[in-house]
Amino acid sequence: MKLRRGQLLVDPPASSSSDIAFILIIFFLVCASVQPETGLPQFLPRTEAKEEKKEQSKNLEVSITPSNIVLNGSPLKLPEFSKRILVALQAKTRPQDKVVVVKSTPDTPYDQWIRVSQAIDNAGGTLTLELESERTITVD
Amino acid sequence: MKLARKKFTASVPSFAMGDIAFLLLIFFVILARVQDDSHVQWDPAILPDLKMIGAPLASVAIDSGYKTYLNGEEISNGQLTPRLNAILGETPAGQRNISFKVHKEAQARHFEPVIQAIGEAGGDLIHILEPEPTEP
Repeated sequence: MKLRRGQLLVDPPASSSSDIAFILIIFFLVCASVQPETGLPQFLPRTEAKEEKKEQSKNLEVSITPSNIVLNGSPLKLPEFSKRILVALQAKTRPQDKVVVVKSTPDTPYDQWIRVSQAIDNAGGTLTLELESERTITVD
Repeated sequence: MKLARKKFTASVPSFAMGDIAFLLLIFFVILARVQDDSHVQWDPAILPDLKMIGAPLASVAIDSGYKTYLNGEEISNGQLTPRLNAILGETPAGQRNISFKVHKEAQARHFEPVIQAIGEAGGDLIHILEPEPTEP
């Protein structure tokens, strides 16, 4: 007669499972933190004093609508605007003359606004928002 | 005859070290997620020539429903400046980074008051955008 041997219970070693979890967390943390974000930095000084508004009237004025960009009264598309603003700003030497006053209609999409903002920035201009409440803030 | 006494060794139990480290990590991960705004639904605008940005002190977002969020928490535009002032404190200029995530279809009536609020708080605005895909 063949005797059946009693099977021994073999537990997997659990002592290292916390170390494995630790390493896994480190791995996922590193993966999550190495995803860099891309963006367009802009320096925003605090709201300007009223006296400075008078000087801004001499500056370039840009109106943004959903379909057009108006530079000193001339309606333009973005590629043409980028060229015209570059030429206009290159002619100005003093930093205070490089201020560009931007007024947007309330329905201007962000996509359009940020492209105009980038064009002004690339041309070396300082963007100033003219808001409906007639308060102005400067964006460099 | 002198009997040798049995020596007992006292050692610091290192068995639980992994567990302690694990719990500490969980703690710090939860702390880090306080600024999390991953639940905010927004589509970034696509733009060429963008820069890599560092870690911001706060994150302001406008979602696809045109609601404003500060660090993932919905907020009114009126409350934004005082809350940002509290976060930025006396941080020197140049380090007052605030990431600004705007849904690409948001309109000037939604994002301009937020830019104004960030400007009033003296924040360094960083528009978070998606880089234009480069052609192969």
